[in-house]
Amino acid sequence: MNSDKLDILLVEDNQDDMELALHALRREKLANNIFVARDGEQALDFLFCRGEFTQRSFDHPPKLVLLDLKLPKVDGMEVLKQVKADPRTRTIPVVIMTSSKEERDLVSGYNLGANSYIQKPVDFDQFRDTVKTVGLYWLITNQPPPLAEGFRHLDALAHDHDRQ
Amino acid sequence: MPTGALPVAAVAITDSLKRRVAGSFIIAVLLTVFLGISSWRGARVAANDADWVAHTYAVMDAIELTTMHVIELETSARSFALTGQDRLLAHYETTKSTAVQEEDTLRHLTADNPNEGRLLDVLEPQVRAALEFAASLIAKRRQTHAVLSADEILETERLMDAVRGTTQKMHAEEMRLLSQRTPRTEAGRRLTSRIIIVGIFVGAGLLGLAWFAVDREIEVSARAQRQIVTLNAELEQRVEQRTAALEYEIVERKQIEEELRKFRDELELRVLERTAQLETVNQELEAFSYSVSHDLRAPLRHISGFSRMLTEEFGSTLDPIAQRYVERMQRGTQEMGLLVDELLNLARVGRHALSLRPTGLNSIVAEVIAILEPDGEGRQVKWLISDLPAVECDPVLVKQIFQNLLANALKFTRPRSGAIIEVSHKQEGGQAVFTVRDNGIGFSMKYVDKLFGVFQRLHSADEFEGTGIGLVTVQRIVHKHGGRVWAEGEADKGAAFYFTLGGEKQMESNNKAAGAGGQS
Repeated sequence: MNSDKLDILLVEDNQDDMELALHALRREKLANNIFVARDGEQALDFLFCRGEFTQRSFDHPPKLVLLDLKLPKVDGMEVLKQVKADPRTRTIPVVIMTSSKEERDLVSGYNLGANSYIQKPVDFDQFRDTVKTVGLYWLITNQPPPLAEGFRHLDALAHDHDRQ
Repeated sequence: MPTGALPVAAVAITDSLKRRVAGSFIIAVLLTVFLGISSWRGARVAANDADWVAHTYAVMDAIELTTMHVIELETSARSFALTGQDRLLAHYETTKSTAVQEEDTLRHLTADNPNEGRLLDVLEPQVRAALEFAASLIAKRRQTHAVLSADEILETERLMDAVRGTTQKMHAEEMRLLSQRTPRTEAGRRLTSRIIIVGIFVGAGLLGLAWFAVDREIEVSARAQRQIVTLNAELEQRVEQRTAALEYEIVERKQIEEELRKFRDELELRVLERTAQLETVNQELEAFSYSVSHDLRAPLRHISGFSRMLTEEFGSTLDPIAQRYVERMQRGTQEMGLLVDELLNLARVGRHALSLRPTGLNSIVAEVIAILEPDGEGRQVKWLISDLPAVECDPVLVKQIFQNLLANALKFTRPRSGAIIEVSHKQEGGQAVFTVRDNGIGFSMKYVDKLFGVFQRLHSADEFEGTGIGLVTVQRIVHKHGGRVWAEGEADKGAAFYFTLGGEKQMESNNKAAGAGGQS
């Protein structure tokens, strides 16, 4: 898997859910450049190019993060918070995909800057439709920000900020 | 106030007393004035009468004196004529002038009495004749020195008798007058005395009566005063008793208040405890429903997903019976998914804090119909939506009401070739009553009580899918708004669901519109 040309970061701890999601994505030919993080910490390491992912670069962020909320170690909300708080990762589209339709999750998700919120349908056909719609939209329909240029600029800003 | 009667009675007593006393005193004063005038008049009459008596005596004196002087002059003249002694004429001239004076006095005194005047007219020439005769006797003696003759003496005597006779008549006249005047004076004096005595007695009687009246009134007022004093004492005693009772009551009330305060404090404490407990329970429930939502749906999703994958990827190798089993599994997971979703929704409605805002119901109904569109695809459904008012409500929850009711209507009109679903409202008792009516399969009114029970279903799942939670959710939302929900139906004819959202929460401006709508 070439992490430089990453399309999707799927953050999912449940094996079954992961397989179903991958199955759905694969059917739509959206699973070629996909990485699955099995908990929140791994997801953060991946996104912030640290730990086992130090060789990764901020210049090649995923085009979409599919984020479950109920995760071991660091939960989904915390991951979202950190991603959206950091200028280097802020522009990465994060779609919350979870079983919960709790109002407070919806509210805090959007407050933290989630780009979308999707409840996983129980019915597999619906689930597949949803995954297809989301994948096609964010990977093909949506125009991502000019990442390389933007990140360099933002890097500089962040370093200035650190020095202060 | 019972004490009010006493001063009024006292005033009445005083007034009548005043009137009576004043009357008595006015009569007494009038009597006294009358007595005074009578006495004064009596005294005056008496004085007058006494004057007249004195006058009579004076007249009589004057007559006597005149007679006496005439006799004296005659005697002097006769004596001189007999003796020729001048000594005997010593007082003759003075007596003569005195006699003339007396005569004048007499005329003056008797001017009021014509009888006496006539007698005096007789007397005067008699006296003059006597005096002239006496003077002639004296003169004759001086000239002739002759002694007095017997004729002359007899003449003197005759003259003297004439004078005496007249004066005696005059005297008798005066005596007659005196005898006339004295009894009159006496009668006047007696009358005056009687009037005075009677007046004194009447005055004394009146004063006595007045005293009696005053005394009686004094007694009455004294009695009233004593009564007032007694009543006052009673009143004071009663006031004291009442005050004591009130003080006791106040003390008692304070105790009760204190107890109530304690109870209230305890209650407040208990409420706080209960609230804390309830909050804990609520949080637990929330956590539970959260985990149900998250954890219960996940395995269902997996069953659904993998069974689907099984039929898709290995369908050709599966026995037809096995395929049918897998399909059953899938339907089961779908149903359970729906059930879990609706149960979660019901729980969420319970926890949901009402966020009221003016909401146009027509837009909500339109949204719901748009959502339900796919369910009615390929069917002939006529939606009759009338103008609905804007209502103060929670739009998220009210949307669920319409979602449930309209979904039901759509579902139960499925056997109809032309379904008619009507949403309307009417104004009833100051409240907007909303109605969702359909011409579906309806229900028998004997099952109306079961409609709003959890998991209560009137139709088999084969006929009409459903969980039996929808109407419970509707009821819960309506109750949360302080409204009412009820249903009417007839088997094979249709059903109507009515609900209110708490009439007083409706907006003013829309009330008017709703009212106008209700009248037309």
